[in-house]
Amino acid sequence: MIAKNKTRIQLPGDQSNFAIAVQHLTVSYGPVPALLDISVQVPSGKLVGVIGPNGSGKSTFIKSILGFVKPDVGKVELFGEDTSHTKDRVAYVPQRGTVDWDFPITVREVAAMGRYGKRRWWQDLKKEDYAAADEALEKVRMSEFSTRQIGQLSGGQQQRVFMARALTQNADVLLLDEPFAGVDAATERAILDVLHETKENGKTVVVVHHDLATAAEFFDLLLLLKQRLFAFGPPRQVLDPELLADVYEGNLRVFADLAQSMRSS
Amino acid sequence: MDWLEGLQLDYGHVIRPLIVGTLVSIVCSVLGCFIVLRKMSFLADAIAHSMLAGVIAGYLLIKITLGREAELGALLIGALLAGIVTVAMVGFVTRFSRIKQDTAIGIMYTGLFALGAFVISIKYFGSMIHVDIYHYILGNVLSVPDEELWLLAIVTSVVLSVVILFYRPLQLTSFDPIMAASIGIPVLAVEYLLTVCTSLVVVSGVQIAGVILVVALIITPAATAYLLSDRLDRMIFLSAIIGVFGFWLGFALATFAGASPGASVVVTMTFIFLLTMTFAPRYGLIADWIRKSSTIPQEIMEDVLGAVLRAQGKSVPISEIERTVTTRNMKIRQAITMLGRQDLVDVDHDQVCLTEAGEIEANRLVRAHRLWETYLEQTGTPEKELHNKAHKLEHISDQATVEYLDDVLGHPISDPHGSVIPADASQIGPDREFVSSLLREGNRASVQRVGALADSFGFKPGDTITMGKRSDGGRTWTLIAEDGRELKLDHEQADSLVVRMTP
Ligand SMILES: Nc1ncnc2c1ncn2[C@@H]1O[C@H](COP(=O)(O)OP(=O)(O)O)[C@@H](O)[C@H]1O
Ligand SMILES: [Mg+2]
Repeated sequence: MIAKNKTRIQLPGDQSNFAIAVQHLTVSYGPVPALLDISVQVPSGKLVGVIGPNGSGKSTFIKSILGFVKPDVGKVELFGEDTSHTKDRVAYVPQRGTVDWDFPITVREVAAMGRYGKRRWWQDLKKEDYAAADEALEKVRMSEFSTRQIGQLSGGQQQRVFMARALTQNADVLLLDEPFAGVDAATERAILDVLHETKENGKTVVVVHHDLATAAEFFDLLLLLKQRLFAFGPPRQVLDPELLADVYEGNLRVFADLAQSMRSS
Repeated sequence: MDWLEGLQLDYGHVIRPLIVGTLVSIVCSVLGCFIVLRKMSFLADAIAHSMLAGVIAGYLLIKITLGREAELGALLIGALLAGIVTVAMVGFVTRFSRIKQDTAIGIMYTGLFALGAFVISIKYFGSMIHVDIYHYILGNVLSVPDEELWLLAIVTSVVLSVVILFYRPLQLTSFDPIMAASIGIPVLAVEYLLTVCTSLVVVSGVQIAGVILVVALIITPAATAYLLSDRLDRMIFLSAIIGVFGFWLGFALATFAGASPGASVVVTMTFIFLLTMTFAPRYGLIADWIRKSSTIPQEIMEDVLGAVLRAQGKSVPISEIERTVTTRNMKIRQAITMLGRQDLVDVDHDQVCLTEAGEIEANRLVRAHRLWETYLEQTGTPEKELHNKAHKLEHISDQATVEYLDDVLGHPISDPHGSVIPADASQIGPDREFVSSLLREGNRASVQRVGALADSFGFKPGDTITMGKRSDGGRTWTLIAEDGRELKLDHEQADSLVVRMTP
């Protein structure tokens, strides 16, 4: 499945049996495109890692799936529907929370916010909504903190609460932008377990990830991005040293990481 | 000494207020720089208001304990105490509750101000206090007693000395308190020092403008100077000049119009601020507007180039360009000037033509446009949208993107409308090696390297080849060898053959 330059441009067939179908996507913020001619089809029920150097367009890719950025060319469909109609089917955990950490709100209420999209704006949340929030907090192992104010948590714990909120949304596609950045080993484990469980429930999970050393271990499929799609497929295939040398421009640390991961796996 | 006395007799009523006002303006506007930069403006306001409570408390204390009317001492000590209490309580509230600073300040100063008003409005205390509330609220620069003048002189020299002596700690704690703390500067102590200074300055400022308006004397000149400077030392200097100038002008206006000097001074300073905000050379509204409107978007310049290119070597009248490029005519003229400055076009009277560099640049844009158009067509864009979409996309024309498009499309020779896609001169220049798939019909090149995929054709390095016609919808390259053999290559095979243009 390695993307080859010499393939002719192909017109897409039926996209509706894929969770995420991206066709000829080009996105630019300025004269140089952030994403160029990306075409990829993600089957549902997979845990997908998006890798690539800094500024390679990983966040932009996620935002395109959310319909947050307007493509210059191409389109993104979820389950065969344009992203403008799929707001209730995706949940998103941003790279870093930009909320007011002193806001008077408890962990449980934050998690329950995941249900706001399911209720009319004048309706109160119901018992079952809070039950869903509690369940999600249980999954991310944050139940014991549910009455804490959101600011009184460590960074990793806050990250887990926002994951719980995304889980509460019960979306078909879960998008996470670098959830493993700056969390300890225990949190990493907790997040990973939840992602696997979510996947087992038939959801599609797409995770921006920067650590090549753990990429093979964490994900079913990897998507290697640097403005263009360099590869998409199982980790063994994508973590090809030649390809990585091309994408990471011979950055040595990356290869050290990789060698280590190959040894450990 | 006769003349001095004479002067004082004649002009005393003017000279004294001018001295007072000048001193106060200097000290307020210098200190104000730090207050503005530390975003403590609201705090200055708070101190000015809570001072009332402090003054009354000090007055009562001295009256009750010593039985004396000690207006000045009460004023000074009370004001200082009030300032410190305000800052301490604000700090306390923000540190030990979840309330943010602005709210804490709002609570504390209104509370202390009201406490002062409450006490003084009680008959029992009110009869004891001979403080002229009206004076405190509006200020009166025209009747400043000797001891207050002395006090002012002392305050001014103390505060200015502090600013000079502690310039660096003040600067660093204002800019980066965390770094300041990390190198051992007592940040909190500096803050209190500044608070004490602010209280002193407020006390002095009250002479002119009263408690309500004194804040303007501190903040407005500093804010004005802030718009005009990029360095703290200059900002302080300018602020002082603006403060003094504002005072003199305001005072003159007040004398002329028979108005309250305090109000007049503040109105003048506010006016100076607004003028500066509008006209400041870098941070002013007009400068900002000019900057925005004088930057010519790259797109317009590119559109102009395209319009000139379409004339195929002939020069084009500006009016013609204005007709084809749809944007404000002024911008088009600016774009032409800019292109001229970059040596991309020559302008002769009203005629514009491309220079050599301009032609290369314009060709690059045409190439980008036509490649995008081909790409759009191949990815299934409806035909009638092709041109407009490609027109927007052609501005995404960086080398890497265009090369990618060209490659993924199989180096097309013509776009969907049949127009030729110009080759990229920089890619196939005589001084570089490139893959043979980039050659156009009639190009002659010498073989440099033969890759695995092209192995079977029998080329050797040094051979001269000529590119023939592309066939099979552009998917098959025809190479003509020296001996006249015609060889058919596909894209990957042609890419496998590295060549160099022969002159
Ligand atoms: N809002 C924006 N405005 C302008 N440029 C942006 C913006 N967001 C991202 N970019 C640019 O787009 C490119 C891709 O960014 P991003 O998707 O955030 O990369 P990644 O997440 O892989 O680090 C970068 O070059 C970045 O500078
Ligand atoms: Mg990112």
